Amino acid sequence: MEEMIERIKLKFNAKDINRQKATLVFFSVEKKDLEACVLYMKEFEGYSNLTMISATDWIETGTFGLTYHLHNYKNRTDVGIKTYIDRKNPSMVSINTLWAGARVFERELKEMFGIDFPGCPRVDDPFALEGWDNLPPMRKDFDTVKYSEETYFPRPGRSTKDNVTQMEEKLYAVEAEVKKGIAKTVRKNK
Amino acid sequence: MSLKDVISPFNAWKRAFEKPDTIVKPMSDREGAPNYRGFHINDIEKCIGCGSCEEICQNAAIDLVEVASCQAKPGDSGLRPLIDYGRCCWCALCVDICPTGSLGMSNDYTWISEDPEDYRFVPGVDDKKWNGADKGYRRQEEAWLVEPEREHMPEKTPEDRKNDFDEYAMGFSDEQAEAEAGRCLECGICIQACPTHMDVPKYISEIKNKDLDEGLRIMFETNPMLEACGRICTAKCEDVCAVGHSGKPIAIRSLKRYIGDKTYRKKDEIMDLEPVEQTGKKVGIIGGGPAGLTAAFYLRRLGHSVTIYEQHDKLGGMLKWGIPDYRLPADVLQREIDFILRQNVEVKYNTKIGKDISFEQLHKDNDAVFIGVGAQIGSDMPITGMDTEGVYSGVEFLEKVAKGERPYVGKEAVIVGGGNTAMDATRSSIRLGAEVKVVYRRSEKEMPANREEIREAKEEGAELMILTTPSKIEKLPSGRLKIECLKMELGEPDSSGRRRPVPKEGSEFYIEADVCIMAVGQKVEPEFSETIGLKVTKWGTFEVHSDTLKSDEKVYAGGDCQTGPDDAIRAVAAGKKAAYFIDKQFKG
Repeated sequence: MEEMIERIKLKFNAKDINRQKATLVFFSVEKKDLEACVLYMKEFEGYSNLTMISATDWIETGTFGLTYHLHNYKNRTDVGIKTYIDRKNPSMVSINTLWAGARVFERELKEMFGIDFPGCPRVDDPFALEGWDNLPPMRKDFDTVKYSEETYFPRPGRSTKDNVTQMEEKLYAVEAEVKKGIAKTVRKNK
Repeated sequence: MSLKDVISPFNAWKRAFEKPDTIVKPMSDREGAPNYRGFHINDIEKCIGCGSCEEICQNAAIDLVEVASCQAKPGDSGLRPLIDYGRCCWCALCVDICPTGSLGMSNDYTWISEDPEDYRFVPGVDDKKWNGADKGYRRQEEAWLVEPEREHMPEKTPEDRKNDFDEYAMGFSDEQAEAEAGRCLECGICIQACPTHMDVPKYISEIKNKDLDEGLRIMFETNPMLEACGRICTAKCEDVCAVGHSGKPIAIRSLKRYIGDKTYRKKDEIMDLEPVEQTGKKVGIIGGGPAGLTAAFYLRRLGHSVTIYEQHDKLGGMLKWGIPDYRLPADVLQREIDFILRQNVEVKYNTKIGKDISFEQLHKDNDAVFIGVGAQIGSDMPITGMDTEGVYSGVEFLEKVAKGERPYVGKEAVIVGGGNTAMDATRSSIRLGAEVKVVYRRSEKEMPANREEIREAKEEGAELMILTTPSKIEKLPSGRLKIECLKMELGEPDSSGRRRPVPKEGSEFYIEADVCIMAVGQKVEPEFSETIGLKVTKWGTFEVHSDTLKSDEKVYAGGDCQTGPDDAIRAVAAGKKAAYFIDKQFKG
């Protein structure tokens, strides 16, 4: 594995090499080198299986991180090849010609993160969501609570209590009345 | 359609007579992994109903509800989380945030009920087969979503600080305050513990928002003495802080001080208090300590005229005369008092009731009277030699120090007592150059002083002599004091819940010292209570209606003179309460 790491450093200028365990290594390459890199790993290093493609929304740095997980059946090792793409106009080269199975992952990423993979068959078809008309739901700026409040009706008879109000009522009702009466004296437009 | 498409469905029939791979019910042998995230469990004795789980739940699956087996008490709202498994996605954020670590998940995930309502229940309260499960997901130390360590306020080293009366704690920097505020869950469990019920989560939230002006306004709603409290408050809020259950409590007092320190220069501008319509009612306030000053401030905000009668030449009461400068610098206290006085509060300095003006006169001249004279007289011990030269009371000694005098402490001083007054006397004596022994009759954990006061006194070199009481004091020919002491042991708990100290037979021993400072409690000046002739309790404090602080038709009393010696924040709360009920009485 060490030799392989040296080779990819040389060929693809691999960075952030993180040797998580003896049989697993993560590294990152430039977006433009990604396709060549996975092809090389498949054809020359024996990583013939595409386990999955995952994405992370790095909203703070304005990027999406993509990780291509590959497995080598012969020596039973895994690699995770990372690359970062622009969040504003997210588009990535499709690898469906290398692995037909990549279509599923790419279609899922299109739906959940809005990352486009031009050339991938049926990439625009719904994957798990039907009739979705909102931000892709796995994006960090998608407001789950707001969405569910707008979409679903509240359960009838449901109620919750505020712990502060509860303690006011049960433990210091008189002082709570005093507090309310006094607080407004220091505020404008009381 | 090809022929294959027609034939292939029948392919499945070839397995029609094989043994199925599915599992027969009951599925008891399909246990989840040891850290599986299954149905929740909750240790309801440990849970404090802070609502952090409800707050963090991304699916709004959690409601806080009342349960019969838990009652609201200090530090516990008595509410418990009810989880709706129609919404729960088993992400375990509720477990990862839980400050007490009471909430966990069992590894049980199989349970069938016909009634959908069954899938809403209160873990730990409702009877479920996984209650008490030891397997399942628990909050991991490193995965707790709260930072357990607090920011440490920069302060001078013990060596450096023990030679002068300068303030030794420097206050938080902006970065520290924001980091410390960031640890707060804003659950609000602390609000009840504060005697004046300050809105702690709200002002901490304004530190996060970098809007300290609003933070100041929030604090003024409940406490006009926030700068003093930001330094010397006993911080009962921190004792119940939810984060304190698994980490260090939020440094609430230091955050209060931070807002005060950053805003005091522009206080008038920020508060921008509008003139209020004057009612023409007059209130006389006896005593210009925290209770009297707070009452004065709020009564002015309610439109009533206020006159404070103060026996000293300066206001502040025990904050001024009882707390040394190194804890609360005089200029900080003064600028806070000046703001209150700018609300047109009249003050008659050097005026003692019963001597310079009679209480009857005061009673006649005002529509209401508030008594906040504190407990200013040091209690004596019933032992021989209390009147020996070189034996002082703690309050008397501290008052001299506050006046800028440097009372004689010699080379060795003995302080008797374990409260904050004792610690103030100890640390002041160290600053005046003495080596100090603190004599206390119970053990260290029973000392009523703040823990940090005890720790810092020890850091500065004070020696604690616990389970010891003085029994006789004599003057030696050399002019020094010879103090006979007895060793004590702890017996049965008394009415305060602390174990009663009992002297050990024949355990007398002697220590020598230059001075002995008695800080064994304080009481209301008995001559004063006699002069005004109000009802008093057997402890000599004023007897008032517990809700309204009302003593007779138009007299109210609060603070130490009503509760017995206590902290500043309770006095502030009493002043605020009196202002409210006096106003209510005026309005009829």
